[in-house]
Amino acid sequence: MGSAEGLEAEIKALIVEALALEDVQPEEIETDAPLFVEGLGLDSIDALELAMALEERYGVAIEDDPERNQRIFASVSSLAAFVADQRAGVERAGGA
Amino acid sequence: MITLSRWFEAPLRGDRPVAFGREGERSRDDLRRDVASLATRLTPAQGRDLLLHCEDVYAFAVGLLAIARVGARAILPPSRQPGMLRELAGEVYGALFDGDPPDALAGRPCWHPLDAAGCETGELAAVLLDRHAPLAVLFTSGTTGSGRRVVKAVRHLEDEVAVLEQRFEAQLGANTRILATVAPQHLYGLLFRVLWPLAAGRPFLRSAVLHPEELAPHSENAAPFAVVTTPVTLRHLVERGDLSRRRAGCRAVFSSGGPLADELARRAAEALGSAPWEVYGSTETGGVAVRQQQRGGEPWQLLRGVEATADPATGCLAIASPFVSTGEAVGAGRTRFVTGDRAAFTDTGEFALLGRADRVIKVGEKRLALPDMEERLRAHPSVLDAALLAIEKGAAETRVAAVVVPTTEGWDAISIAGRRALAKTLSEHLAPEFERVLLPRAWRFLSALPRDAQGKLPRDALRALFATDSQPEAPERLAVSHRAGELDVQLQIPWDLTFLDGHFPGAPVVPGIAQVHFAMRALEELLGDAPVLATLEALKFHEMLAPGQQARLRVLVFDDGARFRFSLEDAQRSERIFASGRGSLERRT
Repeated sequence: MGSAEGLEAEIKALIVEALALEDVQPEEIETDAPLFVEGLGLDSIDALELAMALEERYGVAIEDDPERNQRIFASVSSLAAFVADQRAGVERAGGA
Repeated sequence: MITLSRWFEAPLRGDRPVAFGREGERSRDDLRRDVASLATRLTPAQGRDLLLHCEDVYAFAVGLLAIARVGARAILPPSRQPGMLRELAGEVYGALFDGDPPDALAGRPCWHPLDAAGCETGELAAVLLDRHAPLAVLFTSGTTGSGRRVVKAVRHLEDEVAVLEQRFEAQLGANTRILATVAPQHLYGLLFRVLWPLAAGRPFLRSAVLHPEELAPHSENAAPFAVVTTPVTLRHLVERGDLSRRRAGCRAVFSSGGPLADELARRAAEALGSAPWEVYGSTETGGVAVRQQQRGGEPWQLLRGVEATADPATGCLAIASPFVSTGEAVGAGRTRFVTGDRAAFTDTGEFALLGRADRVIKVGEKRLALPDMEERLRAHPSVLDAALLAIEKGAAETRVAAVVVPTTEGWDAISIAGRRALAKTLSEHLAPEFERVLLPRAWRFLSALPRDAQGKLPRDALRALFATDSQPEAPERLAVSHRAGELDVQLQIPWDLTFLDGHFPGAPVVPGIAQVHFAMRALEELLGDAPVLATLEALKFHEMLAPGQQARLRVLVFDDGARFRFSLEDAQRSERIFASGRGSLERRT
């Protein structure tokens, strides 16, 4: 099983690819920086596309729970934690 | 006034000029004789199609009238782009060109309309032209999806000319010289530059006006003149003050081809003594309406015979008139065409244009009128000009893409902090007014927008900028031929060529050093190895090379690989050279 850093790097690359971001290298994305509104400045349409890409790549299910999703999608590190949990088949209450 | 169909019944006679310019003045008698001479030679082309493209508008007029006389059809390509000519070559009987016949038409009959000028052929028999005979095939510009062909019969052209003359005769007067900056290959130029002046007996300027300053000598002596131009060129004319010095002679200024900004209309009115006449129309509909902006917001005045309504299905403007040549016949010789322009009608039946329907897009569930965001962008000090379009990003999701021409300040910001930083700054500038999902997702920063010769922004040219992620460092190759010791490349300078960045804002030219770089790369290809320069001699940069230009790069190696020379010239006109030089290479051991 890959390291946490490996998964974070993968997710950064996925974000750039799935959202066709220009002028952004995956390694430029700060792991703990906000993804939405500030930081990378992603929006609601990006959220849907990213959710689809994550489901396709990692088989994770993103449910329709806005509060929970806000926590999951807050940053690359929270996303990576979510994916890792899902892969380990463990549901953490309250999110990362 | 002599309508087109009656031209050969009672042509203009005498020694008054029909055309003037640095190529020389031509009289009415000259025209009559030259048309007779050409028509006699063109009789085999009766009922066939002939390509017609001339730089000299007098030659164009002779060609067109001769084509009309023999009952052929004039195909009017928008330019001499080899690709387009190759495509058309298969359909035409032959071509009328001034200048060397292009390779694409090798093997087909080609005539220079003025080849036998001055030879007496004897007068042509008087005939009345068939008003319903198709005379000209025009090409639309493709700003609204892909371009299309539009066929105009004699009646479409002469009926509009008659209405224009009736509307503007008093303002123009007789003998007013028509100075146009637009090509006769498009309907606006065809009517305003050639057919209308001919019908009314007003002389027209012969030369293709490449630069606004070329207009100046023809408006000397306070002889009355009128200007036929586009908003982009009008802005140049006003900013350079070319016309204000001669405003006493200016009878009218016509502008068409795009919206005329209120501010430009006011400045032009001040400079010229009267407000420009804005002409609204299209290739499919012909002329629709005119107006003069005095305070801003003036409604359009429909030309006589034109009816404008809102199309119930699309909400767009539908035009019915005798000059419309595309669409549904609605009786009494009129045709109805639904445009792609949104319009609002007042109670009194007047209309205001609200912009193109395809300029309102939806991203997610949010609606955006692209011109609104463009205007907001232009308000930023780093932005000289901007054009927005909708593109598909990622999984076929519509997004806004922005093409921005930065000011010097903007280019400085890019060189200090990078393109992404400027993109972020401009997004923040837009954020207070526009929903987050509407903010542009892709940005291109260029030294100029990729406008065509008519000043329009073809959608394809804008989309092409987003086809790749990075800016090209080399020209686009169209064709290559390789002989021993020689490489011959047909290429096109892309609008987003990286060497154009900031060089210069609003006026891009390829730096000399970049042209040398292209030559060195070609040399490398020819030698199969990176050349090591020993000397570079006689390096000359003759004319400026701009994006959109098709050029021919030739590189030759001789003296057993010791010496080379290169030239970069206009692909259509080999006498127009951009760069040339020669040198020697270091021997390899």
